[in-house]
Amino acid sequence: MTPTKVHQLGIIALIVFTVAAPWVLPLFVDSFWVDIYSEMLIWSLLAASVNLLFGYVGLLSFGQALFFGMGMYGVAIGIAKMGLGFWPAFGFGTFLATAMAAVAGVFAVRLTWHYFAIITVVFSLIFYFTALSWKPLTGGDDGLPFSMPPIFTFGEDVKLSLTNTTIQYYFIALTVGLCYTLLAIVLRSPLGRAFRTVKENDMRASLIGLNVYLVRLTAFICAGFIAGVAGSLFAFFGRYASASYMFYHVSGEAVVWAIIGGVGTLLGPVVGTSLLIILREELSHVWEHYLLLVGSIVIIVVIFAPRGLGGLWHGLVNRLASRNDGTLDSSEETKL
Amino acid sequence: MLELSNVQAHYGKVHVLHGCSLKVNDGEAIGLLGRNGVGKTTALKTIMGLVPATAGNIAFNGTHLNKIPAHKIAGEGIGYVPQGRGIFPSLSVKENLEIGLAKAPEAETLEHVFARFPRLKERAGQSGGTLSGGEQQMLAIARCLILKPKLLILDEPTEGIMPILVQDIRKEIAAVNKTGVSILLVEQNIKTALKLCSRIYLMEKGAIVHEAATDELQEDKETLYRYLGVSV
Repeated sequence: MTPTKVHQLGIIALIVFTVAAPWVLPLFVDSFWVDIYSEMLIWSLLAASVNLLFGYVGLLSFGQALFFGMGMYGVAIGIAKMGLGFWPAFGFGTFLATAMAAVAGVFAVRLTWHYFAIITVVFSLIFYFTALSWKPLTGGDDGLPFSMPPIFTFGEDVKLSLTNTTIQYYFIALTVGLCYTLLAIVLRSPLGRAFRTVKENDMRASLIGLNVYLVRLTAFICAGFIAGVAGSLFAFFGRYASASYMFYHVSGEAVVWAIIGGVGTLLGPVVGTSLLIILREELSHVWEHYLLLVGSIVIIVVIFAPRGLGGLWHGLVNRLASRNDGTLDSSEETKL
Repeated sequence: MLELSNVQAHYGKVHVLHGCSLKVNDGEAIGLLGRNGVGKTTALKTIMGLVPATAGNIAFNGTHLNKIPAHKIAGEGIGYVPQGRGIFPSLSVKENLEIGLAKAPEAETLEHVFARFPRLKERAGQSGGTLSGGEQQMLAIARCLILKPKLLILDEPTEGIMPILVQDIRKEIAAVNKTGVSILLVEQNIKTALKLCSRIYLMEKGAIVHEAATDELQEDKETLYRYLGVSV
């Protein structure tokens, strides 16, 4: 079996599990794990936005929570303050995050490495404090709750709404799935190739005619869009928005999830996010210092598996394949 | 086609190019030779916009290259193979070839390149970093050719390459030149430069100090020895 087929089987297994989760999970664990799995999927999108920048373009952002928060506030303000329906609010949240990424990106991607990381934190902090102090619009410390509008209304009585937990789960799973599909398409397109080229050597990339600034800005906006979708989904999931999700420690968590899962691999963020959220759920109520364990795991992964769990998986599959039939798919990592 | 007039360049406070002037005509293969550290690579980097020209002018088919950013210079029709190959090791051979293109190349273009470099076709799915030095050099040249350049600039293309492959690379550069692509070659391997180029510029201390037709220079042992420290 070729590495590509093994990866495809892995993806199919993940899709089957995701589709079956609302029925399968309650057979083995408490049914609240279905909600936790929804949360994992949403947070994995935030980690995917970090991964897009760090794993594919070489820009380490500690400010992705800003776009996540913008997505949340877009939905909450849209519904609670502007009286928007479900879809316009969803669109408004995503648009707000993407527009914010475009504005911040114009300045941020002129810088690289630690300077880039610092400016993303600064942007994040500016809007975190703005959201905290602009109480009439954002609700300040209390956040901004809202009532869930229906997704669709058929006639007067039949309404499709996320208040139904099964519909909510599938809506989240489908949206997250669409985002990953979109991400996979972009990463396999000439634009995705440009991302990886710039990451590898920006000077060489400019020598072959790539506008490095524009490539980085495009990646930054795409990452803002993904984080914005995640934030919008999380607002629907929690029925409120809060400035605390804009704080840079949320961005830091997403960086950790992406690193543990494997930067530069498409589905690494899902793995990293899932693993660390499971740890949080299992350990946080029995050991309040469970973050020590999380920190230790990060250190171990960074030292012994710098490509994360996704990288380990790819390495293992490639090694087994080359041992069996000499097949080595060296470009596999960039595909999945 | 390409004309450098009195080009000056600095690395910080260090003055590296002291008025470099040279000319490459349509279809010509030109060699730029000199001892180590005389500014040959800096001259090429200045042409490509990687080192800003602090004075003088660089014109390519009427466009002033010193006024446009590096990424636009490639679009003007100049292919640059930097010293040390300059491929993208983690990308596959095919991806390396496609990166400069806005969309996937037509099968014909790719086949044309693969026909010239059959080794690359065999290794199309392999990552660039796993190729041998000679193959990487071929890939770097092929990547430029896929963009259909009018001028190909090569910085020491045979450096660190197995002798058996040096001949292949030399042959390919000559074949590219025969298709009408002008060549500007910087080489430490004097024999390669003398075989490929019709005209040679000799450089010393950041300036062109001698220009001669290759046949003429081959006879002029004194000049060769004075500026390159070799006898051919």
